[in-house]
Amino acid sequence: MKTLYSLILAASLSTSLFAQEDGPGNNWTEVNLAVTDHQVIPSYQAFALAAGQLEIVAGEFCNSPDTAGLESFRQAFHGAMDGWQQIQHVQFGPITYFNWNFRLHYWPDEKGTGGRQLESLVTSGNAELLEPDNFARESVGVQGFPALERLLFTEGSIGALQEDPFRCQVAHAIARNISDIAEGVHQRWVDEFRATIANADERGFFESAEDAAIDFMKAQVEPIRRIQQQKIEEVIGENAQRARVRRAESWRAERSLRNVELNIQALESFFNGDDQTSKSLSSLLEASDVSTINGIFSELEQSFMALPDSLEEALASDGGHARLLALAAHLDALFEAFEAGLKNTDLYLGFNSLDGD
Amino acid sequence: MVIESIMKLHRRQFTSLAAWLLALPGSVHARSSVGKTPLFLSAASDRGDNHWVIGFRHNGIKAEEVFRHRLPARAHHIAVHEGLGIYTVIARRPGRYLWTGDLESGEKLAEISVPHDRHLYGHGVFSADGSTFYTAESAYQLINGDSGRVVVWQVTRNDHAVTMVRSTEYPSYGVGPHELLLKNDQTLVVANGGIRTHPDSGREKLNIESMQPSLVYMAADTGALIEQQFLDTDYHKASIRHLDINADGLVAAGLQYEGEPFERAPLIMIHEQGSPIQTFWAPEPSQSEMKQYVGSVRFDLGGSYFAASCPRGNLITFWDARSGEMVNALRSRDGCGVCAVEDGFVFTAGTGRISHYNPTVDDIVSLDVSATGKVFWDNHLTVWQET
Repeated sequence: MKTLYSLILAASLSTSLFAQEDGPGNNWTEVNLAVTDHQVIPSYQAFALAAGQLEIVAGEFCNSPDTAGLESFRQAFHGAMDGWQQIQHVQFGPITYFNWNFRLHYWPDEKGTGGRQLESLVTSGNAELLEPDNFARESVGVQGFPALERLLFTEGSIGALQEDPFRCQVAHAIARNISDIAEGVHQRWVDEFRATIANADERGFFESAEDAAIDFMKAQVEPIRRIQQQKIEEVIGENAQRARVRRAESWRAERSLRNVELNIQALESFFNGDDQTSKSLSSLLEASDVSTINGIFSELEQSFMALPDSLEEALASDGGHARLLALAAHLDALFEAFEAGLKNTDLYLGFNSLDGD
Repeated sequence: MVIESIMKLHRRQFTSLAAWLLALPGSVHARSSVGKTPLFLSAASDRGDNHWVIGFRHNGIKAEEVFRHRLPARAHHIAVHEGLGIYTVIARRPGRYLWTGDLESGEKLAEISVPHDRHLYGHGVFSADGSTFYTAESAYQLINGDSGRVVVWQVTRNDHAVTMVRSTEYPSYGVGPHELLLKNDQTLVVANGGIRTHPDSGREKLNIESMQPSLVYMAADTGALIEQQFLDTDYHKASIRHLDINADGLVAAGLQYEGEPFERAPLIMIHEQGSPIQTFWAPEPSQSEMKQYVGSVRFDLGGSYFAASCPRGNLITFWDARSGEMVNALRSRDGCGVCAVEDGFVFTAGTGRISHYNPTVDDIVSLDVSATGKVFWDNHLTVWQET
């Protein structure tokens, strides 16, 4: 009996002749580990810390729910959500285990099933369902940020949480679940997946270090289109009259644009690395393409200076719709710049896997 | 911390791999028992958005391109008929062309189109004697009801010309027929994917909530329905797309799930005429890693095991057709095209990679593709072993 990966390891001996060698500027493993150590793991660590704080504050609030406590709970929600938005673009590795990604943040929920399931859970009053092992098996719609946002940011939420202790216990269970998942993802990266990245050339989980680099580059590029379309264009419509604010991510917490701003900041850091990083994903592209991309990142940063956290508020302001359209246009330009840059490399993000047939 | 009781990601074990090894033919490194190595055919695209049909052979180390011809648009599957010495490239949905070439030279012999009110689904199959070709098509103007069609073409070849005459249309008894096969040269086996699309809406899926995929057996000479099987209603969003059949008439199918990405849904099934569908499940985390999408299915030459490619999950999975157990899984970025050869399988990927996997020695070799240039292999790989 052999394990899959011992088989592949043996196979790698015969394939090394044709394995993609690191070329000039393409030291895949060095880049992969730089992104892992300076971007991914610190971001998950920050998220896990903030999510841990959310769980603590949730417990304190439910012991004695009052208006000041709710404000603290909301602030802790914002802290954890800030952490999540700064690493949401990584959709490979441990975040995909056990449906963790969907359990953390089931969005968009086009049919509104999460809201109905949450109310059903609250009215059940069944405390057994909130036990961690059981709660992990509940619908993804009640387990993560959107459900907690409903409980904390709906009008009259303080009264509802005070009157119904079980409602508060549900909020606490969600906060604990978010914390558990955030800590789980962080630990899996530290304990396992970093080594998987470091040893990608040994043909374990990955075909090669270049194969791993493609996952990082997908995390860099693919979210841009999703942010542009799902988080902006599908919400604002062609004109202000056609805007549908309730399609926005985190609209109840009035932080839809704050999410986008954090996403973009995180993508910029992901691309350029930090001061301690000798290599970053930008080193995989040609210098002129990097320059174009960073120019667009700068324009995006400027765009946010004129925008509030709330997308609804932005839409209601003079010229708000036009500013949001401009933001979407910058995101489109950023995506196109990445696509153009990738065409000058051997990296290709997908063909059969993207279109389905 | 929630304790999750599933296997750790990097600790998969496959107990029945040894059984597979025993079931394989004895030859370990033999590429072929006849003079010529097999010819592989696949559609491919390049970065300039040019589309090609490419024929290649390999010697176990290097792939050598035999021919390459430009196609009018992206294609999907290639059907081969040895007796006529031809191959036919079928346009990818919602394309309309059938492009036929000579197997020896690769040269183009004919290009025809289906009528304007029809489109192809990328798959077709020749009858054993080559006189008939069957395509899966859509009568898309029927926006309600069963718009799937199986179309019968009469084929003749005279030296440098091939004619394909459209003769009869059968209903496919469903919507969105995709891959189709012949069983015993008499029965058409059709995967009705169940998904309604319309060229005016591009590739948009129009009926996910009501889709009803099915596996259909129909008489090849009359189109009469012989048997139709459906998945459990819970899984009506699992589109039955790709098929293979072994010498015993056992059909293996690869599914593509259209429901929520976190839902657990069957991706592999087998069916024997007269029996209910059996769904197969991979152990976690492999089932989740398949990303609800199987792109191609092919039996090994022994007919006991089959490969199912998962390009979204970057995996090629291997299954025991009788026990339903997944016996192995290999990482392959965007790997989709798969075909059986004497000593295992050959795979192609959207990355341009071509691999040869020999389970007898647990050996996967990435072929040197420097001679073929950078192309992105499309979903299906066909092999022709000259006899």
